Amino acid sequence: MGSPAPTDTSCAAFRRLPSEALRPGAVHRFVVGEDDAVRVLTGEEAAAELADPFATLLLLRGVFPRTAGEVLDELDRATPADDPLRQGFFFLVGEGSQIPMSAATASVDRRLRFLATRGAGPDGAEVLISAFHPDEGDVELMAWDQRTGGFNYFQTVGATSAWVFAGNSRHALRAPTQGKGPFESHLSGNFVMKELRFPWLHWHSQAANVLPSVLPRDPPLADHPWVTGRDPRGALTCEVAVAKPGILRWTRTRFQQLLADGGVVEDPARVMVQVLGTPSVNLISSQTESRAAAGGVVDLPQTFFVDSEGLTEVLGLQEPPPFTVSGDLYTANLASFRVRLTDGRGFERAGDTHFAFAVPERAFEDRAVLEEALRTGLLTRRLAACLLMTDFPNPVFSARREALLAHVPARAVVTEGASSFSQEMGDAVAAAAEGTPAGSPEREFAARWALGEDFQASFDAELQDYYGAVTARLATQDGYDDVVRLAESRRARVRTMPISETPLLFARTDVPPGDRTMRADATIVEG
Amino acid sequence: MPVLDRFDTPARLPEPDDAGRDAWSARVAGLVAPLAARFTQFFDPTATDVSADAVAPPIVWNAFPATLLQSATSQEQRWRTADASRHRQDEYCEWSVERDGAGTVTRVTFTTEVPEYYEHLAAQDPDRLLALYRELVGPHVQPDELIVGGRYVRENVHNRSTEGRLVHLVQRNNTLGAAIVLAAEATVLRHDAAGEPVTTAQALVRCGGLGEPLRNSDPQIAAATNDAAATGAEVSLLDPMGLYLDGLLTAGMRTPDGEDPATFWTIERGDAEHALRAGYAVPPERGYAVGDITLDGRPIRFGAQLADRVGVRLTALVDPAGHRPVRLPCVA
Repeated sequence: MGSPAPTDTSCAAFRRLPSEALRPGAVHRFVVGEDDAVRVLTGEEAAAELADPFATLLLLRGVFPRTAGEVLDELDRATPADDPLRQGFFFLVGEGSQIPMSAATASVDRRLRFLATRGAGPDGAEVLISAFHPDEGDVELMAWDQRTGGFNYFQTVGATSAWVFAGNSRHALRAPTQGKGPFESHLSGNFVMKELRFPWLHWHSQAANVLPSVLPRDPPLADHPWVTGRDPRGALTCEVAVAKPGILRWTRTRFQQLLADGGVVEDPARVMVQVLGTPSVNLISSQTESRAAAGGVVDLPQTFFVDSEGLTEVLGLQEPPPFTVSGDLYTANLASFRVRLTDGRGFERAGDTHFAFAVPERAFEDRAVLEEALRTGLLTRRLAACLLMTDFPNPVFSARREALLAHVPARAVVTEGASSFSQEMGDAVAAAAEGTPAGSPEREFAARWALGEDFQASFDAELQDYYGAVTARLATQDGYDDVVRLAESRRARVRTMPISETPLLFARTDVPPGDRTMRADATIVEG
Repeated sequence: MPVLDRFDTPARLPEPDDAGRDAWSARVAGLVAPLAARFTQFFDPTATDVSADAVAPPIVWNAFPATLLQSATSQEQRWRTADASRHRQDEYCEWSVERDGAGTVTRVTFTTEVPEYYEHLAAQDPDRLLALYRELVGPHVQPDELIVGGRYVRENVHNRSTEGRLVHLVQRNNTLGAAIVLAAEATVLRHDAAGEPVTTAQALVRCGGLGEPLRNSDPQIAAATNDAAATGAEVSLLDPMGLYLDGLLTAGMRTPDGEDPATFWTIERGDAEHALRAGYAVPPERGYAVGDITLDGRPIRFGAQLADRVGVRLTALVDPAGHRPVRLPCVA
């Protein structure tokens, strides 16, 4: 069975699969970029390709659930009572989940969806299921492959019992499959939890409950076991017990596979793009509810101003102070920039997201790659520091930092935890700097590279000066307004990314579109 | 559900006789009854029938103080700050850390035991109090270190440090009374100056003067109670009233020998459903210590790293009713 390959290579390609191309009760393969068409896998093919517990316990035994709830029921039937696959969590997330229910907001598309996980151990969940309704179709499922490593991606289309294998985490990292199908949003083959840190904007959590009143009433969900049984700490549990362990697990596995061939890394640029670029982001916000801001102090995320996760937590450089703005400046800005929430379908409400000042930050999966590159010896601390200090006031979407990718050596060899890669790359950038104009990213890098191994004090001083400048600007209305203009330009970038699935992801403002960057003196540059 | 005979001790800890049980119940009743008289939708389960439709939703939050997150400059800074003082540990859970001669963490002890229970012991039977202290801390505890001038000293020399083994909660907001008052006061619905209902956790705490808006616990308790009250229900706390440890999330933790890190979490007082005290320590025969276990790739150097993953629970009791509450203006 086969059908012509859709020209669409995005996630949406699955939603557009013609129903006649799918056989109920069968495993299909459609790895976009690798498969010309969706096709049914024979039992032998499926067994050779799939070694995750969902496949081995259900699909390969001829069990084809139609809904997310049925997946869990069948896993229960397939496993003994004490099996770790009987343990799991339910989570609830929705970009409109904190908009109170009223006549005026009843039609808002809150994009409420569930995440159910199974398997609890040091490496997190073995099976992750995402669905808009526990008892309906269109299920997305990830399961860790015990044989090859990485997550296998599956999904159903509509209410069919046909399951489509859409690829493994490794497909996210190489042509012709990278960036296609599920890897359009799972860019490095990881589970995506956009709002990965406290206060987990949009998630049901200890910081903000999703109230039963916003749940769908037809059919009613408030008393559904997935709702009543949702993890009470919600997003915290998901962060700690599911998302981060899963990301670290795949990152470790990925590097083991990367270095398995005698430590030869044939495409180090695929690693370096996660160090220097912003292929993906997480979302972070203030810990202060927007509505509780007036008259108080609004904390602002450190990682908006600097990559403190990389520079401080990983590399041990000068930590930033807490950045704050007075509640009065914050609320004045809400009015002057006409900040509002809209679902793009008629709903509009003045004000910010539930937690104030939601912005993108460097993705945890990219930080994990940085740490693993350091741990394995591919990168030295000196090179990593010099790279991340380049254009440090712009922790995400830095074209200057990304320009350094042009100097990544074509090949690296890691032997006994060390590699000449870092020296080669640092020297290459420094050599190239001489032929570049003043102020180039190469020259910026080269100046720091020239400090040698004794760089800490100098870098710390630069950061300290910058932190002081930011703090001073946040004390004034003009300074904070500029910061919001910068935030809006970064949000606009995120809105073009596949993880932006609804206008409710961020608030809207009247700030004109445009690229903006922060300078080391904490002033904002247009263009 | 019939009227409760009396309030049981936290985790139903044994009392030697009815006099002791009655004394504890009277102590809790002294907190609950005045609040039930003051707040229409807060009830005293020893005075009121509870319908068969009543539900008991758990309210769970994290032990690490959220107030320290806002002012944190780095992970290590916030862990160090939280480990430095019990007065910073304000989420109805406190902990203390033991280290070996090299400074490696060997044990972290967590407690949610309320000071009121120890005052009860001191009043009922000082010998039991002393015996319990000697069991939890060591045989060197002397009676005059606990009771001075006839009064039990909550923050005594054996229960004020973040080092060694603590006994019960001492942070000034970490009391059973504070939790009950919060739950009762949060049954009052509020509206803001524009007349809009105040329902979100932090805004509700600010509006109602219900504690610290940036804690994990207060906004959680307030929002859950307030949401229940908004349905017209009556609210109380489930017996045995108390704060309980809700487990340790061990995903992302790795032990040197591959042992499941969850096996090192031991409930020392209470039971699995009502855990009051737990220790995290590696049995000596394994040849390594807590500090040799990594958490998201970092060795455990602070008790607060575990507190990031420890849950604290209070269970509400929500009895559907036909109240039609009127929203009141903010008080703060």
